[in-house]
Amino acid sequence: MALWFFRGLARQVVTTRYPATLDPWASALPTPPSFVPAGLTFALVELLVDCCPSGALWRENRDLAIDIGACTTCGRCQRVAPDAVVASGVFELAATAPAHLVKRIPIRGGEG
Amino acid sequence: MSHADAAPGPDEGRLAARLGGEIRGLFGRSLHIRTIDTGSCAVCESEIRLLLAPHYDLHRLGLFFTPAPRHADLLMVTGPVVRVMESALEKTYAAMPEPKLVVAVGACPLGGVFDEDEIVRGRLDRVLPVDVFIPGCPPSPLALLQGLLLAVGRLGEKVIALNLIAREETAR
Amino acid sequence: MTAPLLWTAGIAWMVAAGLGLGASRRIFLWAAGAVSAVGGAACLVGGVRLALGGHAITAVLGVGDIVGRLDLRAAPLAGAFLVLLGLVTLAIGCYALRYHEPERGTAVYLCAYNLAALASLAVLVAGDVTTFLVAWESMTLVCSLLILRHWRRAGVRTGAFLFLALGEVGFAMVVAAFLILATHAHSLDLTVIAARAQSISTGWRSTAFVLALIGFGFKAGLAPMHIWLPAAHPVAPADGSAFLSGLVIKLGVYGVMLFAFVLLGHGPLWWGLLTMALGAFSALIGILYAVVERDWKRFLAYSSVENVGIIMTAIGASMTFSYYRQEVLGAFLLLVALYHVVNHGTYKTLLFLEAGVVEHASGTRDLDRLGGLVHHMRASSVISLVGTLGIAALPPLNGFVSEWMLFEGLFQGFRVHSHVVGVLMLIAAAVIGLTAGLAVLAFARAFGIGFLGMPRSAEAAKATEAGQPILGPGLLAVACVALGVGAPAVLIALDHVVRGVTGVQLRPVLLVSNLTVIPGHTNFSGFSPTYLAVFLVAVSVVPIAIYAASRPRGATHRGPVWDGGLMSYRARMQYTATTFSNPVRVTFQRLYRPDIHIDRASDDPAGSSGPVHYRTKVQPVFEKYLYRPVERFVQGLARLLQPIQSGDVNRYLLYILVVVIVAYLVYAW
Repeated sequence: MALWFFRGLARQVVTTRYPATLDPWASALPTPPSFVPAGLTFALVELLVDCCPSGALWRENRDLAIDIGACTTCGRCQRVAPDAVVASGVFELAATAPAHLVKRIPIRGGEG
Repeated sequence: MSHADAAPGPDEGRLAARLGGEIRGLFGRSLHIRTIDTGSCAVCESEIRLLLAPHYDLHRLGLFFTPAPRHADLLMVTGPVVRVMESALEKTYAAMPEPKLVVAVGACPLGGVFDEDEIVRGRLDRVLPVDVFIPGCPPSPLALLQGLLLAVGRLGEKVIALNLIAREETAR
Repeated sequence: MTAPLLWTAGIAWMVAAGLGLGASRRIFLWAAGAVSAVGGAACLVGGVRLALGGHAITAVLGVGDIVGRLDLRAAPLAGAFLVLLGLVTLAIGCYALRYHEPERGTAVYLCAYNLAALASLAVLVAGDVTTFLVAWESMTLVCSLLILRHWRRAGVRTGAFLFLALGEVGFAMVVAAFLILATHAHSLDLTVIAARAQSISTGWRSTAFVLALIGFGFKAGLAPMHIWLPAAHPVAPADGSAFLSGLVIKLGVYGVMLFAFVLLGHGPLWWGLLTMALGAFSALIGILYAVVERDWKRFLAYSSVENVGIIMTAIGASMTFSYYRQEVLGAFLLLVALYHVVNHGTYKTLLFLEAGVVEHASGTRDLDRLGGLVHHMRASSVISLVGTLGIAALPPLNGFVSEWMLFEGLFQGFRVHSHVVGVLMLIAAAVIGLTAGLAVLAFARAFGIGFLGMPRSAEAAKATEAGQPILGPGLLAVACVALGVGAPAVLIALDHVVRGVTGVQLRPVLLVSNLTVIPGHTNFSGFSPTYLAVFLVAVSVVPIAIYAASRPRGATHRGPVWDGGLMSYRARMQYTATTFSNPVRVTFQRLYRPDIHIDRASDDPAGSSGPVHYRTKVQPVFEKYLYRPVERFVQGLARLLQPIQSGDVNRYLLYILVVVIVAYLVYAW
């Protein structure tokens, strides 16, 4: 116990300072995807919609819709389209209504 | 997935509308949480358990876990709400005195993993009125902390402003 | 004014007995109950006046020297018991109005009950040996009629037989004791015997004391002479059991007090020690058997055994202190004994009456079948709660005051100039302490399992208060509270009584500023029951005020009991009386030697192939090891003497011839 305490003091890691400051390793947490609108084509969007195992992605007219709540951060959409999908790095995702968790990204890449 | 449920509905800002500015005064510094597992894989429970560890230390924020729903202010639900747990879930919710909050933790109660069928209900808000949704599979303890502090009115909601667009590039 | 009140009581009970004979009509039933209650009120007031008056009143009721005369003498010692008699009969009179159905059995019963009250009055105001014995025996006989009310039911005749048989054995011993004294004092008058007590040799007086202790002990229910109590009380009607337990066993205590403090004078040390030992033993045995008892009335009967033990311990300690010239403590403990007599009479009567109400409403006395009565029987539950708090000796009620004072008296055993006796007193105090703790457990069990929770059977679920008597038990509940909170007043009255008996003036040493109790000597301790009650009320105001101020402004929402989210919560999942007392049963299993039978449908430990039956029965230790051998011996002796009654007329003529010859020879010389 004492060892843990003193080691922690030495390494300056005892208790997290959140919500005052973020921990340095927070950027490595798994997070939902962000999309590059210019890199999204309708064909690619169909691929992405198929590959998502939890059905968090679907196409709404000329937008790609994502339900952040349904996303399990598995990373398949990024493996399918590494140029168009990157990790968002945002983990503070708590919402007071389901509608806040649905985001729409315009598909600007063309028909491809 | 039934996307119709994900469409924006009349639940905008439900939490703020229900209790107004009283939440922070009522629960801000002292809140008792009752967790209930409605059929999860228990990884969310591990993350919740980690909240009591010295590194995250829930108690320093004035939040505590309690097994008795009669003493609880907030119900933290994991799992996709299997039907056999539904009556226990409803009894737990009914045993909590007003005012009370409900938090759905993880992708399961948010409809992410299981569809509604004869075994599961799928989404928690088909059974109970939910105040805060915490996405993640599992949500890290920091995400849980953010969700809990949002529920007691000590942090703001950040996800509304999020747009998930990596970089704007002009169309080639 | 006192004498007319007591005469009024006696006449009222005679009238009520007559009215009772017509109780197959409801109007006569009501009249008998009302007149009986009036008699009780008169006796109560008369007893109070007698206790406060401090001197005896005499009267002679005679029909000439040939038929016989009854010498009556109401002494202050009887005053305390007359108060109890009045209170008990007042409450039972009010109760009997609504409890009984008008039928022929009720007529005989009510007549017998009022005659029993009259006989008890006569016992308490008897002035000479004959009056006492006649009154005593008539009381025993008439009380057996009380028990035999439902004589066709199972167990009734056994209960009445045990009561009568042990009553007669006790009576024989009491007669012997009285005759020893009367012969040596050359008089049948109790005052004369008391005056000449010291002139009788110690050996004879000791014999009389032991005979009186055991003889009256049979009636009082002192262990091991108590076995009629658990047999007779469950089968008698509720107010009969209440009368038996509330009053009749106190008459046994009165008899012992009469001998120990009035008739015998000062005696050797072992009198007090023997009484104390028997008392402590009886208290422990009583409560140990009470805790594991399922039948509510048998449980209350064993509790009476326990309380009689407590009273006897107080009497024994009083005698011990007097022997060592600690007159103040001796008088103090006598006062404690009298106070406990009144207290126990009050709450035990109340509990038996309420047990009758519950039995009437639900049809069962079995604690394992009751429960949840508080929802539909509010008034009875509150009244029972008051009685339960009283008998469990919880402040600020009367049981607490008398038991606390007993402890304070026993703890002052160090003032006695003998280490051995001091230690013995401490052992007695420890045993009474264990008893008090077990009593709290036992009564928490009885009230909690019987009244609270969910009903364990359909009959308990249907029980309501409609048509049940409330006034009688309610009066006793008020009396319990009054005796506790108004303890100073009660102690003043009892102090007059004790002064009349022992000549010791306790009042300046007992009460300081009239509201504090100092047990005997000022350098030991003191407390104030009245201030304690006021303090408890005042202290409870604070949390109530906090609650009222912080009540949520919204509406209150009633929800079901939290059962862990289980699919169904059944009443059968609750504690039962058997399981609640299981720790005690296991701890004391050497005493109980329970017969345990477990029947399973199969060896499957989960019991999923059928129900598991568990039966446990406590061994009747006293019957098996004490009474049966005596019974076998007596029957063996009778068999030996049987040839005398051969039925042969010739042999009987031979007997007559032999007797005539022997008588002639004796008279010739």
